Amino acid sequence: MAVGQLTRARLLRVNGALLAALALTLVAAAAIGPVHLDWRRALDPSLASPDAVIFFRTRVPRVLMAAIVGGALAAAGAALQALLRNPLADPHLLGVSSGAALAGVCALVLRPVLLGHTLVVPAAAFAGALASMWIVVGLSRVDRRLESYTLLLVGVIYNAFAGALLMFINSVVDFYQAHNVLFWLMGSLGTTDYAVVGALALYTFIGLAMLLARARDLDCLSLGDDRAAELGVRVERARVTTFIAASLLVGAVVSVSGMIGFVGLVIPHLVRLRTGSDHRLLLPASYLAGAIFLVWADTAARTALGGTEIPVGVVTALCGAPFFVYLLRRERRRGGM
Amino acid sequence: MRWRRGATTVMLWALIAVSGVPVCAEEASPGRPTVAPTPARIVSLAPSVTETLFALGAGPRVVAVSTFCDYPPEVRSLPKIGSFVAPSVEAIIAQRPDVVIGAPSPGNHDAALALERVGIRVEAPDPEHLSAMPDVIRRIAAAAGVPDEGERLVARIEAEMETVRRRVAGLPRRRVLMAVGQDPLVAVGDTSFLGELLAEAGATNVAPPGISWPRVTLEFVVARDPEVIIDTSMGTEQQSGAAAFWQRLPSLAAVRDGHVYAFRSDRILRPGPRLPAGFEDLARLVHPEAWR
Repeated sequence: MAVGQLTRARLLRVNGALLAALALTLVAAAAIGPVHLDWRRALDPSLASPDAVIFFRTRVPRVLMAAIVGGALAAAGAALQALLRNPLADPHLLGVSSGAALAGVCALVLRPVLLGHTLVVPAAAFAGALASMWIVVGLSRVDRRLESYTLLLVGVIYNAFAGALLMFINSVVDFYQAHNVLFWLMGSLGTTDYAVVGALALYTFIGLAMLLARARDLDCLSLGDDRAAELGVRVERARVTTFIAASLLVGAVVSVSGMIGFVGLVIPHLVRLRTGSDHRLLLPASYLAGAIFLVWADTAARTALGGTEIPVGVVTALCGAPFFVYLLRRERRRGGM
Repeated sequence: MRWRRGATTVMLWALIAVSGVPVCAEEASPGRPTVAPTPARIVSLAPSVTETLFALGAGPRVVAVSTFCDYPPEVRSLPKIGSFVAPSVEAIIAQRPDVVIGAPSPGNHDAALALERVGIRVEAPDPEHLSAMPDVIRRIAAAAGVPDEGERLVARIEAEMETVRRRVAGLPRRRVLMAVGQDPLVAVGDTSFLGELLAEAGATNVAPPGISWPRVTLEFVVARDPEVIIDTSMGTEQQSGAAAFWQRLPSLAAVRDGHVYAFRSDRILRPGPRLPAGFEDLARLVHPEAWR
């Protein structure tokens, strides 16, 4: 779909529908859980009963966290796909998430040295995401061309390398630090702290706003760097802004929830099929759809086994990996890669 | 992310230094184990084994230990043969041991086989369950050539454990959650070594049954309303917000009554001579009134 077809009415219609669907999802997901709640007691905000504590301190923050994380990953994926002109770009596959994790772990291990400030680890994750993006994209560019396969392979190698460094760190630190690192890497969407939810929302909204401000540039960039330059886009500046915004999204997410794959790949694709590739619509729609998807994936993760849960990354990978193979084969048949 | 799941297993595993995968193909022989000639050079692959050897008086014959071994203090200056989960076969052979004693782990299985192949005697009794403790100590003692010391140590540990058990006997069981991590929330399950100790300390474990290290849904914990929370992730500099995590759940009896405890006892994590002391620490948290 060409640039310029988007009307304000359509923008509002699609996003309004998705927003309504997200609202319904949040309400439904907060109503579902392994413990049966008595709603009269659960909705009493004085937290007098266990039902209310379960509802306000475990389910609601967790559902909100899932929505924010899912939205951030999907928006970052959509932006990277446009910037790299690669339908298979995903923060997880490109190694951006593992780069963020690696830097986060370094900060975690060195935190006693770094005066123990709570912002050190998320800041390191952001820096790690940004550095990884530069490295992966830089290494993939051969003769000023960015081939899909080169990018994916460099991503695979970078993932393996970052994974090896993580293993190395974990094997040289002492026993208790290794334990901390391991749990930090696993992460989870569970939290009882609204301050964490709020901080994450703030970071990801800044990232999303930066991307939205570049939406027209992303439309042009998906036509190619030279073409974008002809259309008046300052290519290098647009690229830097997008990298920073996507790193902010991924770094913030990885530092609270660990690595969750495939949301950034699957969601923008499904959304693009319906909305076309105008990023003024694609970005917010991907954010909302990603939020809906991850809330449901996490609902499955926390309820499927009763009192125990499975990592949400398992659920997203089970849905996402087959979809990735489907996309890869379809792209190959079309000769698009 | 297979490496991460693998690492999880290995770490949780190393945390308790016990396991369910036997290293040696041999069966644990019933009754009194056969006694080999007294070995002059012993290599220990596990913290609990090292502690047991020193408690048996075989300490001077221990020539090398794992990097996880830190007690008694004199082991820190001994040569290291790699970690408990990944010992180095070369480093072990270089120590010219008469016997190598360890605890089975998935990480040292191949090393144990390799050592046996070159003719080095390997003993790795499995302390997965509390009930196996006496037999494990007897086998370590037999391998070290001090079976009588082994009997004495077993009797001492049994007596000390019994003293603690008698303190809490007859007291009403308390609902207890023992967490090893908050994010994700991972608990001590009833089938793990620590879970068995909790039960002996007079606790009813609120974690879902049948799993050694369940990853628990928080709302499930709130619904089960533990009266005591023992959190091994608290009290480290990495987890400064760890106490606040529980304070945000005011309906919990443990929070209301101030029974949320940080717990980082090395003793209790090891099925060795210091276990009764660790067991008492644990029982004091579950039933403080028994020591008043």
